[in-house]
Amino acid sequence: MFPDAAVAPLAEAKSRRIASWLSDYRPAQGTFDELMDEAGRPRPHWLSLLEALAEFGEAEIDQRFARASRRIDEMGITYRVHGEARERPAPLSRLPLLLTQTEWAKIERGICQRAELLDLLLRDVYGENRLVAQGALPAAAVAGSPEYVRPMSGVKPAGGRWLRFYAADIARGPDGEWRVLGDRAQAPSGSGYALENRLIMARTFPSLFRDMNVRRLASFFRDFRAGLASAAPRADPRICLLTPGVFSETYAEQVSLARYLGLLLVEGDDLMASDGKLFVRTIAGLKRVDVLWRRVDADWCDPLEMNAGSRLGAPGLFEAIRQSAIGMANMPGAGLVEARALMSFLPSLAPRLLGEDLRIANIETLWCGKEDAQTRVLAELDSRRVKGAFGPGVFGRIDSRGIHAAGLGEGEKKRLAAAIAERGMDFVAQEQLALATTPAWVDGALRPRPFSLRVFATATRDDDWSVMPGGYCRVYDRQDAQALYPETEAPSADVWVLSDAPIDVSTLMPPAENAHIVRVPGVLPSRAADNLFWMGRYLERTEAVLRLARCLCNRLSDRQIHQTDDARHDDRQPIDRLLRQLVAWGCVNENPRETSAAALALSAVSDAAAYGSARACAREARRTASIVRERLSQDMWQLLRRLETRLQCTVDSDRSGPALEPPSEPEIVDCADRALQTLAALSGLMDENFNRVAGWSFLDLGKRVERAINTCRFARQFADGRPTMESLDVLIELIDSQITYRGRYLSGAALAPVHDMVLLDPFNPRSVAFQAARIDDHLAGLPTLLDDGMMEKPRRMSTLLRAELGSQEAQTLDATVILVIEQRFLSLAEAISERYFLHRQSAMTASKRAQFA
Amino acid sequence: MIYDIRHTTSYTYAAPVASARCLLRLLPRDDGGQRLLRGEVELAPQPCRRKERVDFFGNRVIAASVDTPHNALRITLEARVEVRRLQPPAAALTPGWETAQRAAASFQSLAPQSPAHFLFPGRLTALQPPVTAYARESFLASRPVLEAAMELMRRIHADFKYDPEATDITTPLDETFRRRSGVCQDFAHIMIVALRGLGLPAAYVSGYLRTLPAPGRNRLEGADASHAWISVWCGAAFGWLQLDPTNNMMVCDEHIVLAVGRDYADVSPIDGVILGAGKQKLDVSVDVKAIEGISNPANELRQINV
Repeated sequence: MFPDAAVAPLAEAKSRRIASWLSDYRPAQGTFDELMDEAGRPRPHWLSLLEALAEFGEAEIDQRFARASRRIDEMGITYRVHGEARERPAPLSRLPLLLTQTEWAKIERGICQRAELLDLLLRDVYGENRLVAQGALPAAAVAGSPEYVRPMSGVKPAGGRWLRFYAADIARGPDGEWRVLGDRAQAPSGSGYALENRLIMARTFPSLFRDMNVRRLASFFRDFRAGLASAAPRADPRICLLTPGVFSETYAEQVSLARYLGLLLVEGDDLMASDGKLFVRTIAGLKRVDVLWRRVDADWCDPLEMNAGSRLGAPGLFEAIRQSAIGMANMPGAGLVEARALMSFLPSLAPRLLGEDLRIANIETLWCGKEDAQTRVLAELDSRRVKGAFGPGVFGRIDSRGIHAAGLGEGEKKRLAAAIAERGMDFVAQEQLALATTPAWVDGALRPRPFSLRVFATATRDDDWSVMPGGYCRVYDRQDAQALYPETEAPSADVWVLSDAPIDVSTLMPPAENAHIVRVPGVLPSRAADNLFWMGRYLERTEAVLRLARCLCNRLSDRQIHQTDDARHDDRQPIDRLLRQLVAWGCVNENPRETSAAALALSAVSDAAAYGSARACAREARRTASIVRERLSQDMWQLLRRLETRLQCTVDSDRSGPALEPPSEPEIVDCADRALQTLAALSGLMDENFNRVAGWSFLDLGKRVERAINTCRFARQFADGRPTMESLDVLIELIDSQITYRGRYLSGAALAPVHDMVLLDPFNPRSVAFQAARIDDHLAGLPTLLDDGMMEKPRRMSTLLRAELGSQEAQTLDATVILVIEQRFLSLAEAISERYFLHRQSAMTASKRAQFA
Repeated sequence: MIYDIRHTTSYTYAAPVASARCLLRLLPRDDGGQRLLRGEVELAPQPCRRKERVDFFGNRVIAASVDTPHNALRITLEARVEVRRLQPPAAALTPGWETAQRAAASFQSLAPQSPAHFLFPGRLTALQPPVTAYARESFLASRPVLEAAMELMRRIHADFKYDPEATDITTPLDETFRRRSGVCQDFAHIMIVALRGLGLPAAYVSGYLRTLPAPGRNRLEGADASHAWISVWCGAAFGWLQLDPTNNMMVCDEHIVLAVGRDYADVSPIDGVILGAGKQKLDVSVDVKAIEGISNPANELRQINV
């Protein structure tokens, strides 16, 4: 407790802070602002937020924001710009958008109504087609859309709905009323980012979040999942999220949603449609898929019936949909309602289909395919923005941003008018809406910023709609950067819907009696198994290369210290062999005769261009990991990223001078040591924090197979053809067994004991025999395709290897025998791949075509 | 005229193919002045599943999958078709092209033959301002739509060189247009893009053209091969009329319609996905024979201007 005397100045500082924030905050004339009303007074709900913020003080606020930024980075909340390989962190605006319960109720009702309207519209257009026949909707306004998916015409969706997951971009006009800017029905993105934004904001301002009675998002996602399940043709359905893959712009979001909702994340290659049903390829064979939430656009979903060049979908998927054998969210073809041309008809279709007017209006949209609308647009061209009626733009005419005719020269304006007169159906004209503003935190001050809000609705189990109490808000730095270009890098903001009463958190928990206990979370898709296996292999290879490089550096430093002429020849053997191994694995690009050994060691660690370097292997490990990211913990993902950073081996920046010297041997050793520690941390996570289900088995299988192969290789390289004691020492060091060896044998390294320790010792976790035993155990625990009690090929091989290595004697080993063992592990890896990675069969499209006249 | 058609497509694979699934649009249509008297599509090896349906545009589609490993796949169509089309109307009687354009834009149907489907860019037929500009020269104000379309066809036939080496299926349309050469598919695509650019509905028609082995006469291009042409919508009263820009002729009884769509991508006779690696070799043979005795002698003698 503060003494009373101290409270007064504190309270004073707080109100001074608020006063200064408010006095600097000046919304533009003629726009609506969320914080200030028309009279320039702060609205009460914003005032309570500001009061709570003022409590913290500027320094604390900045600190909290900084922590939030770090968290975004750590959680890997990223997006990709189309065509780019790198992932960008998704920027988060510091302040949430606040919406009162009353305001929200309006939005909620409007969005439910609109979702229902669009679903009915889709049902009619793909069904009886009454709207077109009655003249309520011109045929061309439908037929012009690339998302009018004709093969879906006449199809009855499983579960009855064309639309199950819908989003609308809305904004407030100058009058404070909400308008719909656009509809998203193909595969709406943003809900996962909204969820992540919420996690971050709730952690950044926990007390604020609680005290302001912010409505939670969980129930919406529960409704969504239950709604998906209700679309399934079977009870207890298998629900998959179909992703376009790691290069999708919103892959990070898809991963987090799959994880949050407990859905199987699949790519087209994982799926197989046969006999009008859909299956996922798993390590236990083909398993039926009941519901598919697709994030792949309809055109790419089925190469047989749509885009023949697509590798993102599953051939035959459409036939399964026609057979109502699979529930879809959303049905292919639902994207039709995104067309601006259709938007212009919604105000008149609402009374016809629902018996009531739209609760939230569109921005005014005129489709130039109708003669009266075209005449009006041509007469008032300057006051509107002309856009593509169906897609982002109109080929050869306008791009996705549209054209503001007022800004055109006379000649260009004439050409635009002529184009509209010639093919009016390609164009719409929309009003220019001055977006309402909301406060953003810019350099320690509040500034009004235009915003748009994406809200999400899902069809529920009982055939109603549920709206996410929150959303994905984009905050723009200029009025004209506008809501309508989702590709801009505008930061997003969390959206707080403020309840009038405290939130009853208990209602967010699922009822206990319904909890169905599960230990094995469904099947492992074979693609996931494949990538986990390779992730294990790449990580193990990274480690092996680092150990080679470290050994090399240590030998080089030793030599410089005790260099005597007669010792030289003996010393040279391990170094030559280490170099030979690095070259054989492609860890270096340089010619070893022309480059110093130290430079080669550095290459082996950090040369991204050498395909076998530790850095390249770590990069591959992360790539394969990114494909199965929904199965990895945040900690693991962070360590993978750190591993890559560490392998850059950057020289400390405090070493000055224009020409930076390459790192010295001890510095390379330091770098390798740090990377090996990160790898050890990763191994620890794998062993202690990874649930021991099939996924873990494949990760560990990869690691064991690779370690067995590498160890054989090392044994052949360093213990072959009259090895010096130094070379044998290297071998023991490579398998990290110096201490054990010295404890067992008092004399120096000798061939048979070394062979025993490296290859046969069942107690040494680095020996080949140990790997064989682990591999055999894993394979014993994996599902078999047939129930006939027979061993499958990989298991037969591993059992034999295990028994042979267990009964072998060290004296009988030589390079030839070891080579055979190594080759048998290679064949085992091959057999594992053939048996479990069913998606690997490369598909190619038979290009048809007869001869043409 | 009655025709017997035999169309064989053989794929030979360098490495065995584990499975194949295909969509076949090989059965000739049974409408619009054409009757399918009999039609059979056979696959070797035998498919394990085979299902027939009708696609959106009314074409018959056979979906077949072969799940046994194979080194070759042969698909054979054998059909007998009777063609007895109405003579095309006098071009001057058709409505002005702007009238047809307005009627198409406000058409109240999404039925398969509705002009609304054929107004917009297709997968292989993006609209191109230069092609539209080319077309505009034939479409003078209020000119009857068929007359203008026939002139456009005549110009394409005159300006473009028939050259099987010039293009392949992957050549983009704007390049074909710049080169002024191609095969029937290119001619059809260019004419479609030209008409649609002006807001006129145009469809792609795939099929066969009979061989006329008369001595001393030029061999018709497209004979004994798959052929393609177009159909233009000339207002509700006249409907769809077919023109063959490769041969500069109105379509009548020498053309046998296989399938109709927005462009080649909709009607590709064999579409498929196979599981397998390695190269494949394709052989096609088409044989179209008019059956003597049943045919209409008046038609047999009809002059064809190339």
